[in-house]
Amino acid sequence: MPDVNLTIDGRPVAVPAGTLVVEAAKKLGVEIPVFCYHHKLDYVGACRLCVVEISPGPPIARIACGTPVSEGMVVKTQTSLAVEARADVLEFELVNHPLDCPVCDKGGECPLQDFTFRHGYPTSRIDGPRLHFKKPIPLSDKIALDRERCVLCYRCTRYYDEVAWEQELTVGERGVESFITSQFDRPLQSNFSGNIIDLCPVGALTSRVWRFESRPWDMTSSATICSRCAVGCSVTQWQRRGQLVRVTSRENDDIDEGWICDRGRFDYTDVNDPSRLRTPSVRGSRSSWADAIAELAAGIKGKGSRLGISLPQDITNEEAHLFRALLDGPLKSARVSMQGRTAIPAPSGAATMRIKEIDDARVIVVVASDIEDDVPIVDLRVKKAVGKRGAKLIVIHPDGVDLDRHPGVLHIRNAPGSAAAEVRKLASHEWLQNPGGLVAVLFGDGRGSEDAADLAVACAELAEKVGGKRMPLYRATNERGALALGVAGSDKLDGVEALLIWGPPPSTGIPPSVRFLAAWDHLPRPDYANAAVLLPATTFAERQGTYSNLEGTVQFLRPPIAVPSPLKEGWEVLSELGAALGVTLDYAGISPIQREIAGRVPELAALAHPPDPNPEPRRVLVGPAHP
Amino acid sequence: MAELRGTTNGPVLTRWFGTDDLHRIDVYERLGGYVALRKAITTMTPDQIVQEIKDSGLRGRGGADFSTGVKWSLMPKESAVPMHLVVNADESEPGSAKDRYLMENSPHMLLEGVGIAAYAIRSHQAWIYIRGEYDLPFARLTAGIEEMRAKGYLGPKPFGADWELDIRIFRGHGAYICGEEGALLESLEGKRAQPRAWKPPYPAQKGAWGRPTTVNNVETISTVPFIIDRGAAEYAKFGTEKAKGTRMFTVSGHVQRPGNYEMEIGKTYRDLIEGLAGGALPGRTIKCWWPGGSSSPVMPGDLLDTTTDLDGIKNLANLKDHPAPPLNMGGRGFATMGGSGGVIVMDDTFCAVKAAHRLLQFYAHESCGKCTPCRVGGNWAVRAYDAILSGNGGPQEIKILERVQEGLQGGRCLCGLGDAAGWVIASSLTHYRNEYEEHALHNVCSAEKVGMAANA
Repeated sequence: MPDVNLTIDGRPVAVPAGTLVVEAAKKLGVEIPVFCYHHKLDYVGACRLCVVEISPGPPIARIACGTPVSEGMVVKTQTSLAVEARADVLEFELVNHPLDCPVCDKGGECPLQDFTFRHGYPTSRIDGPRLHFKKPIPLSDKIALDRERCVLCYRCTRYYDEVAWEQELTVGERGVESFITSQFDRPLQSNFSGNIIDLCPVGALTSRVWRFESRPWDMTSSATICSRCAVGCSVTQWQRRGQLVRVTSRENDDIDEGWICDRGRFDYTDVNDPSRLRTPSVRGSRSSWADAIAELAAGIKGKGSRLGISLPQDITNEEAHLFRALLDGPLKSARVSMQGRTAIPAPSGAATMRIKEIDDARVIVVVASDIEDDVPIVDLRVKKAVGKRGAKLIVIHPDGVDLDRHPGVLHIRNAPGSAAAEVRKLASHEWLQNPGGLVAVLFGDGRGSEDAADLAVACAELAEKVGGKRMPLYRATNERGALALGVAGSDKLDGVEALLIWGPPPSTGIPPSVRFLAAWDHLPRPDYANAAVLLPATTFAERQGTYSNLEGTVQFLRPPIAVPSPLKEGWEVLSELGAALGVTLDYAGISPIQREIAGRVPELAALAHPPDPNPEPRRVLVGPAHP
Repeated sequence: MAELRGTTNGPVLTRWFGTDDLHRIDVYERLGGYVALRKAITTMTPDQIVQEIKDSGLRGRGGADFSTGVKWSLMPKESAVPMHLVVNADESEPGSAKDRYLMENSPHMLLEGVGIAAYAIRSHQAWIYIRGEYDLPFARLTAGIEEMRAKGYLGPKPFGADWELDIRIFRGHGAYICGEEGALLESLEGKRAQPRAWKPPYPAQKGAWGRPTTVNNVETISTVPFIIDRGAAEYAKFGTEKAKGTRMFTVSGHVQRPGNYEMEIGKTYRDLIEGLAGGALPGRTIKCWWPGGSSSPVMPGDLLDTTTDLDGIKNLANLKDHPAPPLNMGGRGFATMGGSGGVIVMDDTFCAVKAAHRLLQFYAHESCGKCTPCRVGGNWAVRAYDAILSGNGGPQEIKILERVQEGLQGGRCLCGLGDAAGWVIASSLTHYRNEYEEHALHNVCSAEKVGMAANA
């Protein structure tokens, strides 16, 4: 479709037809302030802050967020009508707004502050009493609601309705007494509730985990990747004085579209745990790194299959590569168990689907997975395709799942273990005869209840028959990278004599046969009471490295916190361990490891191209201060 | 519910009023009812009906004054999903009770009109969204629908025609905003009643449940049987060259005979207030009047010769030598508007500031809370009025009112509720600025003195 030409404040701009004026202005760098408008939500026209003058049309205030561009349109943001109208709305918003900016978590990154400064009247004429609500109100154990600060932009309720498909958040009363409330005052249950904190343009919704921890200007942030599951959402991690104090979403339209789940947002406080391990220890007493690694090497050397190695779900590609080298050499035939991984085999044959391709699917088949739990943000992508883009949805799962909220879903309840048979029957389903576009086949492993290898074959066949694409739903953060590097083992650890635990201990516990236990972990745990060697580990907020997410995209971690001495990066520990075991794993930094991997493993070739460490900061004109 | 007074044996809408038991289908049919519905669906095509309505010049009587025929012609001729007719019977405008009068006295006239209109827009399911407080109209309509069904005028093949119709009633739950088209549709869908974001899409494209929908006022639909029965030309005989037909007016307040009156469009408000409604109470003079419900800007009492033509009434020349209030409708100034025909009359014993205060309380209370100016501005104005009337006000409060009224008008609110609140302030503050200043600066109410003298 050809672009539409218009001018905004005298400057010409060409944008695709259907673009809203507010977006066209963003392209030019012209700020039109907004509260209720959000580019990922349907427009609602509630806050009336984005008013401009538009011709052709009557000489009235028009909302830039609800007006699509048209050829030859002339938009003026600086006429006296528009400037006054915006200032009036800001004055209205402030009539009942409390003056508690000094103790408000939003202060410093608050659009209401910024817009008032840039677009409001310079003086206040408000001296009467203000409306009061009880505050703050806990919406859940993670989110606090301050109704006095609320500007009723309805972003949170619309997000809940449109994106998360939840009915938990609504508006009570009407007029000036309107307030946001959870349904029947019950705590929010959704796994996606935290996003309303990022959406809120004022300090009405704040994180109870972060509340009163720090001021925005007191923190530094880093654009990095979430390490909680295989989706690999982009996040911003914020640190203050070596403490990880906040995690917020960061928009990446290829993967997360700016949403993250509550696990990714709130589950970070272990980084700041005061009991964290800081020094290596051998049999309960402090030791040097050299002694501890020598002790470890002596304990695991030459054990063959009597050695067990437990790897974490978020092992980096670099650590995995070094483990591969150890397993090919001195630790040959050790049993390896990767925690949290699915039974889905490594992808083979045709390329797997990308997350963003779900948008264009006409029919989506979700097999053997409640994707809200397994891959939460993919769940939101499916909801968008079904709810906003009219895709049809088929679910094959023995139990009720989150996606059943849509009235149009076809839920085939299979007997556990028979998902592959149901998938094979599906090829003749009427919805898949002329789908009119892409068919997306998403499959998990039923959390162990299905024969994953057979199911993968059945899904590949189905995708081929109906002209669709398949997406294996790996769960462990770097499962796909570990599969490519050959360390995603699922060996049983029963009966091993020596056990090296890399990351948190295995969920099955320590086998009683273990005589020599060594662990690289960041927290002391009861499991380690009899550990021979205990090495302090870095956390996801400190380590460097890369993950391959479930669609195979390689993403680089950019930790906000420097590795605190005497801690060492995981790859450093492994190369020292290699030296102690008699194999040369000597690297000058993480980059040579990445280049080596890229040269050897075609799937991970992207490791040779780390992103610019200092990217040009994006100008944020519209929306919350952090994107 | 008290019996409503009003016109009987009027020219169009009230032509059979006064007949005993007019609400019963046999009485209604004996007088000539359901002839039009039979004629429409057995002898006319939908397009012919739409053309007939267009020719008659009938315009929406809810206050927007948009051509009914044109509105119907915007509906798609074919649709994969059901289409709906929705009758707006959520008459909540202060000062307006005409729809109630029509529905109580002659429910079948509305139901017959619904049948014709639904046929004309090819809808098989019509909804009547009725104000929750309207018990008797609800009972009469419910009984009327049952009578229609018993006669076979509803359901499959009414009058043997190859078409079917169902009429359903939805009772509102008592919110003024539900009279706004978008909010009404939201409420009908079971959602929180708040106006819809912006047009387009118009309801004819995406209305109730996302389906093509026509929303019409009770009076508009009740007029349709007359036009189909007697022909467009017969209806167009009434009124002026541009504004055809008759209108229902509700006159309330300080007049001798308050009630509902049907009057030909084009006559003046003097004909209505002093003629039909009997004029001011003995010994009093009319101080001001609202031509079309409380949402229309107030007019001083010496301007009764203003026309009832909905276009002509907006003309600034109607104000004669009075100053023009800073009113804004689509970017243009106007004198006042005809609105829904609810005429409120106030005489010189009542204070203009107190009246405006009361109305602002109404608008602040009824604001749905969706858009900022209306949600906050109405309430802020009420607080300013509170201060002025309690003797705690000053010039600052009058300045706040001036700012608030401007912040509410001219496209700054999502729907007309905010504009209406702004017009109340703007018009009363312009025409009765002396009373505002007496209250704010000297804590004196001159109208109160007049009232005490009159009652002495």
